[in-house]
Amino acid sequence: MNFGAWGVVSLTLYLLALVVVAEVARRAKGDSSPADHFLAGRSLGTFVLFLTLYATAYSGNSLLGYPGRAYRDGFSFIMATGFMMAVIVAFHLIVPRLRPLAVRHSFVTPGDYLRLRFSGRWAKPVRLAVGLLMSLALANFLLAQLKAMGEVASVVTDGRIPYELGVVGLAAVILFYETRGGMRAVAWTDAAQGILMLLGLAALFGWLMSEAGGLSAMTKAVAARRPEAVQVPSLTVCLNWFSTIVLMGLASVLYPQAIQRIFAAKSARALKNSFSGMTFMPLATTLVVTLIGVAAIARFDIQGVVETDEVVPMLLADWGSAGGYSAAAALLVFIGALSAIMSTADSCLLSLGSLLSRDLLGQEGRDEDTTRLGKRLAAGLLLATIPFALWRDLTLWRLIELKMELLIQCVPAFLIALHWSRLRAGPVFAGIVVGTLFSVGLSLNGFTRFEGVHVGVLGCALNAFVAVTGSLLGQNRTGPLESSADRISR
Amino acid sequence: MKQGGRRRTVYSGCLAAIAGLYILSVPWYRDLDEPLEIWLGFPNWVTVALLCYVGVAILNSIAWSMVEIPEDDEDPEAPQ
Repeated sequence: MNFGAWGVVSLTLYLLALVVVAEVARRAKGDSSPADHFLAGRSLGTFVLFLTLYATAYSGNSLLGYPGRAYRDGFSFIMATGFMMAVIVAFHLIVPRLRPLAVRHSFVTPGDYLRLRFSGRWAKPVRLAVGLLMSLALANFLLAQLKAMGEVASVVTDGRIPYELGVVGLAAVILFYETRGGMRAVAWTDAAQGILMLLGLAALFGWLMSEAGGLSAMTKAVAARRPEAVQVPSLTVCLNWFSTIVLMGLASVLYPQAIQRIFAAKSARALKNSFSGMTFMPLATTLVVTLIGVAAIARFDIQGVVETDEVVPMLLADWGSAGGYSAAAALLVFIGALSAIMSTADSCLLSLGSLLSRDLLGQEGRDEDTTRLGKRLAAGLLLATIPFALWRDLTLWRLIELKMELLIQCVPAFLIALHWSRLRAGPVFAGIVVGTLFSVGLSLNGFTRFEGVHVGVLGCALNAFVAVTGSLLGQNRTGPLESSADRISR
Repeated sequence: MKQGGRRRTVYSGCLAAIAGLYILSVPWYRDLDEPLEIWLGFPNWVTVALLCYVGVAILNSIAWSMVEIPEDDEDPEAPQ
């Protein structure tokens, strides 16, 4: 593809805009406390909150990984629209109970809830285990974004900026604006990035449909090229469909950056309005990227699994080759994709800083030193992740699944704990250990699914069984205890 | 009191209907060798799934507008 100098100019302008936003956000800062840096002083209203939730939820994986998966699986990947919507449904399990506690007790990180909820000698191990799982999942997510950033920067600039420089340079920009402006900079840039992403996707989808001659013509062309892509899926695929809805729905609500946006909302009304709007976004985003991947079946013959992540760049290359308006629109899509990737990466990085300092190292202060420590830890982790990002032989979809298998093991510690006051720290810790060893052990040995059901979902069921049974048995032996949960529920 | 009870009933009803739509969205009940039939531009089992997801989006949006989230502080965005 040849965007010529326009690619470099557009990328430079976009990055300059991010730097300006960071500076404005820095000047808007109230103080240097962790709550102000990591949660924007709990000031996010409906508009910014909605767009930052949107831009954070839809990442490089959504824009590059999902079309690749849709290209491989065909129409059965329509399941993605369902599981992305399931995330907003699953938030009903957490928001109505967690938000009031967050306001009352000034939570900054997910670990602040665990600190309040669990008591006794196993409370700290639970907090550390959850903090570790969340940090690993976030680092994994960050890694996927860095890889995608390098790919897109290289394509937009026709290789003038090589993959490696793209990874390092864009990571530096993110670190700059995140460190300067904190959550305000992240949320404001997310808002702009979310709008760019929507515009880019709408433009690409419009072009694809006009090329294909409409939806029916596209479906017929796909059926002619690869009949199995339009067939009713097998029972194993259907089981996988259900399993993915559970895996993504439950695990995604435990993204630390999502939980922190619940804390950062200005009001309950802002949260409710944002989630009301967010529930429609899978139809405007996930459905569109799925159809883009499916439409590519009729256009390309890609063999390798890794290469299918290139579906969107290949489509844009086709589109942009006409020059003029087409090239400009294709460039807009690329910048939109880069926006999506960077907005997710910056949220991961911000959350990682607070998670590492407060939940793993136990720095619970509310002063400038705690904020500074969080910033330094985030910078250190970003530097440590960059070398892994230079390993290109790993599909984005596999990275998403690995992350989810870790995150879903935190379900009992939050989702059950919020609804059942008798859940105790010891069994929760035992459940996390058993569930994580089960799912990660099997995953590392090449068993990622049983009859389509993810090992992470099975591990979570085992984890929940251990946590609930252990809590019931412990309660029978010692009688009901005056726990933190009892205090919370009153 | 009555109004709060009605809100909770609508809220629970929306969530139950969402669960039903999710079960219906997955084509586990269809034959593998069904011939391709196109509805609204998609294979018919895809159209059914999509209509279910549109329904989920609408019901979920209603559920979010009904949910009660108590807050200690005054809601700054609440209508005066």
